[in-house]
Amino acid sequence: MATASVTSSTAGRLLGNLRLPLSILAFLGLALGVLGIDQFVNAMTLGAIYALVALGYTMVYGIIELINFAHGDVFMVGSFVAMFISSSLLGNEGAITNVPMLAASVLILFALTISVMALLGALIERLAYRPLRRAPKLAPLITAIGVSFILQNVIQFFFGPTIVTVPQLVPIEWSIQVSGSRVPLLNLFVIATSVILMVALQLFISRTRTGRAMRTTSMDRDASSLMGVDINRTIMITFLIGSGLAGAAGVVHGLYYGNTTFGLGFQSGLKAFTAAVLGGIGNTAGAALGGFLIAFVEVGASAFGYGRWGGAIVFSLLVIFLVFRPTGLLGSHTGDRA
Amino acid sequence: MKVFNKKGLSALAAVAILAAACGGSTASTAGKTLTIGISFPLNGSALASAGPARDGALLAIKEASIEGYTLKAKVLDHAKEGAHNPDQAAADMLTFVGQEDVVAVVGPFNSASARAQIPVSSEAGLLQCSPSNTNPTLTKGADGEALRGGRNYVRVATTDDLQGPAVAVYAKKNGAAKIYILDSTDAYGKGVADAFEAKFIADGGTVVGRQGLPTGTTDFSAAATAAKAAGADSIFYGGVTSDGAPLFRNALAQAGLGALPFYGADGIYDGTSEGSYIAIAGANAENSYASQAAIENIPGKADFNVKFKAEFGKDAEGYAYAGYACAQIIIEGIAAAVAGGDVTRETVRAAVVDKGAAFETVLGSVSFDAVGDTTQRIISLYKVDGGAWKFVEEINYGN
Amino acid sequence: MSRIADAVNAPFAPVRAFFRKHRSFGIFVGVVLLSIALPLLTRVPPFDGIQSTNAWVNAFTTAAIYAMLAMGLNVVIGFAGLLDLGYAAFFALGGYTYAFVAAPFTGIHLPFWPMLLAGGVVGAIFGVLLGAPTLRLRGDYLAIVTLGFGEIVPITLMNADKFTDGVNGIGGIDKPSIPGILQFTLTNPWPMYGLVIALFSLIMIMIYRLEDSRLGRTWDAIREDELAAESSGVNIVIAKLQAFAVGASIAGIVGVVNAAKITIVTPDQFRFAVSISALAAVVLGGMGNTIGVATGAFIIYLFQSILLKQLNTLVENINIPVLNQIDFLDFQYVLYGIVLVLMMLKRPQGIFPARRRMREFAPLKIGKRGAK
Repeated sequence: MATASVTSSTAGRLLGNLRLPLSILAFLGLALGVLGIDQFVNAMTLGAIYALVALGYTMVYGIIELINFAHGDVFMVGSFVAMFISSSLLGNEGAITNVPMLAASVLILFALTISVMALLGALIERLAYRPLRRAPKLAPLITAIGVSFILQNVIQFFFGPTIVTVPQLVPIEWSIQVSGSRVPLLNLFVIATSVILMVALQLFISRTRTGRAMRTTSMDRDASSLMGVDINRTIMITFLIGSGLAGAAGVVHGLYYGNTTFGLGFQSGLKAFTAAVLGGIGNTAGAALGGFLIAFVEVGASAFGYGRWGGAIVFSLLVIFLVFRPTGLLGSHTGDRA
Repeated sequence: MKVFNKKGLSALAAVAILAAACGGSTASTAGKTLTIGISFPLNGSALASAGPARDGALLAIKEASIEGYTLKAKVLDHAKEGAHNPDQAAADMLTFVGQEDVVAVVGPFNSASARAQIPVSSEAGLLQCSPSNTNPTLTKGADGEALRGGRNYVRVATTDDLQGPAVAVYAKKNGAAKIYILDSTDAYGKGVADAFEAKFIADGGTVVGRQGLPTGTTDFSAAATAAKAAGADSIFYGGVTSDGAPLFRNALAQAGLGALPFYGADGIYDGTSEGSYIAIAGANAENSYASQAAIENIPGKADFNVKFKAEFGKDAEGYAYAGYACAQIIIEGIAAAVAGGDVTRETVRAAVVDKGAAFETVLGSVSFDAVGDTTQRIISLYKVDGGAWKFVEEINYGN
Repeated sequence: MSRIADAVNAPFAPVRAFFRKHRSFGIFVGVVLLSIALPLLTRVPPFDGIQSTNAWVNAFTTAAIYAMLAMGLNVVIGFAGLLDLGYAAFFALGGYTYAFVAAPFTGIHLPFWPMLLAGGVVGAIFGVLLGAPTLRLRGDYLAIVTLGFGEIVPITLMNADKFTDGVNGIGGIDKPSIPGILQFTLTNPWPMYGLVIALFSLIMIMIYRLEDSRLGRTWDAIREDELAAESSGVNIVIAKLQAFAVGASIAGIVGVVNAAKITIVTPDQFRFAVSISALAAVVLGGMGNTIGVATGAFIIYLFQSILLKQLNTLVENINIPVLNQIDFLDFQYVLYGIVLVLMMLKRPQGIFPARRRMREFAPLKIGKRGAK
């Protein structure tokens, strides 16, 4: 049943370790060749946002095995909180061309939105999921759906059912030239932000005490509890981080697209969730990879005029992929979870 | 189990008999209260477009007065999870049919819901006026024939098969030669884009690319880059604002195509208030073109805008006028029935559908042809200029 | 208290014993009695003020259709323990099967009754087609595959315009008729009500018989411990495929009835939201308990589609001036969400938990993480 192959020789192990980075590089090279640089940048940017949302899905699943259907809507709320902070509290109206001012505004925006969303995520966990910790597995799935309805409709009530504009602080005119193509700095900013946050998350999970507690809890909650890990606190921190990342994704979404709507969470949530599964649900690096992969598929479909089939292609890919690699890109054997 | 089947049948027969008994006892003549049903999808994203139509109808019903009768409105919402739901639409129509004092219905908003509702209202002989259905097959061709049984359905919006071509003619005149078409994949967006494409090609234009991105899409950057790579000199978008028309426009600008003319139909002609195409696209909206399946100088526009604002505290937009017009037509039908001395569903229906009469509405004089489509076949064309829609010209397709 | 209850129950003991012995008959009688009682109930306040009896009966018909869907989904989730998040796809396939052969779009007009079976067969075929390659996936990965399938089907129906008329959907679908006796119409909901009630009791009887059969016990074994079941010689893949096929064929049959009732199928009718509502009904009703699940679905449908939609009418009837100013339609989904959350917090095992599962959830498994 184990899917990971064991190689005995050192050379084999080295090759095994390099296989993933090498295949990612090969894939990126191929994508660049097929799509051209413009579409490549589009895909990387979209993938960066999917990846940030997918991280929240995968972290929550990893630790409490809950498909958190409300997470897409947490991302949506994040985009509205960012919009509100940016336009109402900070009084931004459009691009800021003064670099120090821009940096300060963007940093404040990130800090505030991430904090608010982290608190909201923890609150949702406390009210809707924690009481069901020992309940049948599907019970929290249903409360997640309920939370999703509540979030969507509360936002709709306050901000209306239409598309809402968000100030695009980074001027879209700023760009660099890469082999004859104009690459906007905004796209690079989105990709960089996402990568920085992902690396920070990896470091946090692998280097800190809390990160270790999260990992042990996801492996065996009861055993870690016996080892002195505060389970409730660890799960709450997971929600804090996952929702904070969704908040960051909300900020990035607003800066990049300049708009948001209360229905944003459903589709992007579904895509991000698919990304998490493609990557191997529960595995943070996998979720990021999955996010980029889906973005490339979607952008590719749209670039060649098959946009209307984008969703079908993504999900067919998912089905086929799971049939041949049941634990996703980077997932390990999941055991008997069901 | 076989033994029980027979008993089952007789039990069912008993249910049916009981039902017949129940059904028969409720018949009573309509009293002094007449109700006009309003049937729209009213939650989630559907609310953005259908809400104004509802408000328009409510306003007309509130204003109307008919000697000896009280007019009331009853609103039912057939949206589920934010989108219109044909199943619920048909159920709501049955609710209206079952309520004795409902004499006519304003709605629905979407063509698929209309297809579920019309068979029900037609069986009951209940008049129905849609402010916004533009799908030709609802009234024309074999489908329309099958659907139209009772001749009870009218609509004040001109069908997509006129609007798309009108914009195509206009785009051609503006110098468009190589067009990139994007649609929202839904009935309206795809329908209007198909009609546009056919006419544009027939007139010698080239379509350099076409695809659909469904409602809910947030990322239009790939489509914008594809349009750029295809070397398009103009863009057509089939769909409504909430499908993403302004998002596509913004993505085009981010891809460096902000200067290209951007054509749409009435789906993006939605004023300048919050959530409108112009509000979301901002400065990028300049050089956009849209159409409207109505005359520009509708008679009571300014007056209506004032009344609407006073009643609801927001600007009239989108289908508010058409919703108001539908209710006006129904009210005039009721008035005609009252004048005839007998107000029933049938007399109201006949007054609107059978006589070929013209109705004075906020949209101007409206009358209906043999299949219930408006005879006012005028498409008005608009251009964004200085952050607002400016009327350019109208194309009259005659009667 | 129990003594009083005993005294009250005593005369019914023989009746109970009779029905315990003849359960199928009992179900049938129960469903028929209930189906007569419900319309009568709508003639008393406050129900009569909301809508006409005909509209109520139509609502009950739709509610029963959703209840059948939930019962079918319960076979997959509650019995075999396979989480299916794309159940609406089979519902869609059933509906389109009938639409293809009974609408002006194709010009073919086959009679309704044999198509009921055909819908079931098509459902079962697709159930097996999806299940065969994917059932070896474990737990939530299977859930995601079904979710993907549930998205692929409507997108395909939408984009294969030539065969399905795309987003317009197929309209003008033939209504059922019993030649010479009865033509179903849209304004008279009673014949459809009768048909759905009959089908409802048939499906419920069938499911109860399945539950007690060898296959039902096999599903129990798999759900409780897949490894142990396999070691005891159970062919897990076949048994899971059977669960998938049974669930899918019920959805297919119900899809046919639903298409004939609404007379139009469009891809949008079968999106993720439908799968989710069915899932919510199963979990809220009490996974594994057929009657509970059916009741749960029935109540949820009426709550969501009548109570919430008609809140305005209801409040108007009560006539409290302050409340009349509020448009309750604005709050319907917030209320729905709150109810979902509260119900789940209050009764995590569902309103009517399966008896066997009630014992499972009793707090004795302290060392065990989650439930399987």
